[in-house]
Amino acid sequence: MSSSESMTTYTYEGIPQYMPQGAGGLRPSMFQKLNILADAAKYDVACTSSGTARSNDGTGMGSCERSGICHSYSADGRCISLLKILFTNECIYDCKYCINRRSNDVIRTSFTPDEVCTLTIEFYRRNYIEGLFLSSGILRSPDYTMELIYAAIYKLRKEYNFQGYIHVKAIPGASKELIQKVGFLADRMSVNLELPTAESLKLLAPHKTRKNILTPMRLVQNRMAENKQELALYRNAPGFVPAGQSTQMIIGATPETDFQIMQVAQSLYQRFELKRVFYSAFIHVNEDSLLPARTDEGPPLLREHRLYQADWLLRYYHFRAEELLSEENPNFNVLFDPKCNWALKHLGQFPVEINRADYKMLLRVPGLGYKSAVRIVKARRVGTLDFSDLKKIGVVLKRAMYFITCNGKMLYPTKLEEDYIARNLLSAGEKLPGEVVNMGYHQLSLFDDVGFSGKMQQYM
Amino acid sequence: MKTVYVCSNTVTGIYSAIYDAWKARKGEEECSVALRGAVETELFCEYVEVEETVHKAQAVEALICRHLGREAYWDIYHAVLAADTGKGDAILGAMLAAKTIPDSRRIMEHLSHPKVEKVFELSRSVIGEAHFLKGAVRFRELAGGVLYARISPKAQVLTCLAPHFADRLPLENWMIYDRVHRMFVIHEAKKRWILVQDEFLDPERLPDLTEEEKEYTKLWKGFVHAVSVESRENLKLQRQHLPLRFRPDMVEYM
Repeated sequence: MSSSESMTTYTYEGIPQYMPQGAGGLRPSMFQKLNILADAAKYDVACTSSGTARSNDGTGMGSCERSGICHSYSADGRCISLLKILFTNECIYDCKYCINRRSNDVIRTSFTPDEVCTLTIEFYRRNYIEGLFLSSGILRSPDYTMELIYAAIYKLRKEYNFQGYIHVKAIPGASKELIQKVGFLADRMSVNLELPTAESLKLLAPHKTRKNILTPMRLVQNRMAENKQELALYRNAPGFVPAGQSTQMIIGATPETDFQIMQVAQSLYQRFELKRVFYSAFIHVNEDSLLPARTDEGPPLLREHRLYQADWLLRYYHFRAEELLSEENPNFNVLFDPKCNWALKHLGQFPVEINRADYKMLLRVPGLGYKSAVRIVKARRVGTLDFSDLKKIGVVLKRAMYFITCNGKMLYPTKLEEDYIARNLLSAGEKLPGEVVNMGYHQLSLFDDVGFSGKMQQYM
Repeated sequence: MKTVYVCSNTVTGIYSAIYDAWKARKGEEECSVALRGAVETELFCEYVEVEETVHKAQAVEALICRHLGREAYWDIYHAVLAADTGKGDAILGAMLAAKTIPDSRRIMEHLSHPKVEKVFELSRSVIGEAHFLKGAVRFRELAGGVLYARISPKAQVLTCLAPHFADRLPLENWMIYDRVHRMFVIHEAKKRWILVQDEFLDPERLPDLTEEEKEYTKLWKGFVHAVSVESRENLKLQRQHLPLRFRPDMVEYM
C-alpha cells in the first residue's frame, strides 16, 4: 500500500487533515488501531507526567500534579501514566533498530486528530490516564507530521478544553515555527537522541543526523529561557514546555562504553538543560546485519539499571561522569552500584564523620540517600548523632557502616581495604541483580556485556 | 489513675476525645484515647465514653493549627484517617509532647519521641495510599452519564481524593464509594463535593453500565496489554508497584 493512495487531504484552518484507510479500503476498528499504534509506541521509555502543577480553571477537564501520577502498571512492571501512542506508524525513514522502519512489513495505520482527542478525553474522565504522550512515525515529511501532531493537540487543548498533561515528540527536521507552536500547547517536549554518538546514528539511522536532532533541542531550550522572562514580566503569558524537555537513547545496539554514554548524558544536562535523559535497553525487533547478534539473554536490563543509577548520581549527588568511570575503566561494575563502586575505589576519603562532614561528602556515602543527608544535617544542629539515630533517619547501616564514624567510632572494627569491604558487602546479602544471581547457570560468552566478567572473579 | 477516652473511629470522634482529654489537663501518662471496639482493657484505668460533637472537633483543629502550625496539622489530619487503632493515642501523645518543647511548631521534627514518630509514620502511609489511589481509581459510566468508582482502601482516604477529582473533573457528575468504610463522596457538576457517611449503597440498585463504557473498557484493556514489552516482562516488579489488593477495583484487571 503506498502512502499516497491511502489518504485524502483537505484543509482545516490551514492544517492538513489525514484520513487513513486500511488495506483494501477497509477501515480498521478503533480497537485495532489503538492496539497497533500503542504497540508501536511501547519502545519509547518515558512515561512520566511530572514537572507541572496546574489547577483546572473550572471550564474544562484535567489538572496536573507536580509529582506526576502513575495510573497502572503493565506486565513488564513499567508505569502507565500517559496514553502513549503514535499518531501514525507509517514512516519514510529506515532506522535499523525500529519496528516501524519503512522496509518492515507491518500493518500501517493512523489516527485522525479527532480520534486522538476522543480517546484522550474518554480515558481521562475514567481516570485511566494522566494525559497524552503523542509521538509519530514520519509521514511524507517532518513538517507534514509535525503539523498533524499540532492539529491533534490544538484540538485537544482548544476545542476539548483539555488541561491535563501532554508530552509531545519534536520531530527532527520540522520547522522552527511549528515546533514553537507545539511547545506552547505541550507540557513536555522531547527529541530522541536515538543513539549515543553521531557515528552510531549514521550507521543505524541513515536518514537522521545529529545536527537535525540537536537543533530542535536547542530551540526548545532557548525558547524556554525566553519564556521564563516573559512569565516574569507578564504573569499570564502562555507557558512554553513548562515541564521541561527530555530525551532518550538506545543502549546496547552500538559499541559505546558506559563512560561514553555518561559523558553524553552529562553534556546534555549541562549544555541543553534537559530535565531527564532516558536509557532504553536495546530490544531486538528487526533482523539486520548492522545490529548486534541476537542472544538468548534478552535486553541488557542490568546495564540500563546501572546507567539510571549513575544518572541519578549526576543529577542529585554532585558526581561527575569522570569520577565514576574512566578510559581505563569504561564500564560499570555488575556487582556494585556506581556509588558503592566509587567509594571502594576512593577509600582514602573514608571513613566520614557523620557529625562533621559537609553535605556534599555525606551524599557520597553508600547507603545514604539525599533525604537522609538532609535529615542528618538538620538533626546534628540539635545534638550529636549516634548509630541508633542514623537508623531512625533511614540510613542503610548495613552498607554505610564501612564508610562512616559517629563521634570518631565505627560501628564495628573494620579494615579499610577494598577487598575486605567488598567481600563483606557481598556476604551481608548485598542485593544482587537477577542477571548476576543467574550467572551460575549459563556460561559467560564472548557476546556478553563488555567488561563484566573480570570484575566477578576479583571478588568471588 | 489513667483515664481512657473511648470514641468512634471517625475524625469527629477522635478529635472530640482529644478535646476531653485536653480539657481535663492531664499529663502524658495519665490519659489516652481508644477506639470503640478496639479497647484493650487495662487494670487501674477509668474508661470514659466521649460525647462526640462537631464543635469539639473544630476546636481541636483550630488548636492544632494555632499551636503546631500548618505542617503538623497536615500530618495529624492524615494520621486521623489511618487504619490503626492506636492513632488517637499517638496524636494526643504528640500534642502533649509539643507542650514540653520550646517551639511547639517544630514538634514533627522530634522523631525520637515514639508518639511523634508514630504520627509521622501513619501520616506518611495515608498520604502514600491516597496518592496511589489518585491514579488507581477507575470511574465507570453509568446510564445517565454519572461516573462511579469503587475503592477498598485501608485508610479513610476519601476526603483526600475528593478535592483532587473535584478540581480535575469539575464538569462531571461523579461519585466514589469506599466499600471498606461505607462512605461516599458525591460530586455534582460545577458544585462542591460532599461526603456521605453511614449509608449503605446497594450494588443491585446501581444503574447499568452504558454501551460506550463497555467499549472503552475493552479499549483500555487492549492498550494496557499492547503497551507492555514482552521481552522485559516482569510480573514481580508489576506486583511490587501495583499490589494485588487494589486490582479487584481496577477495570484492566477485572
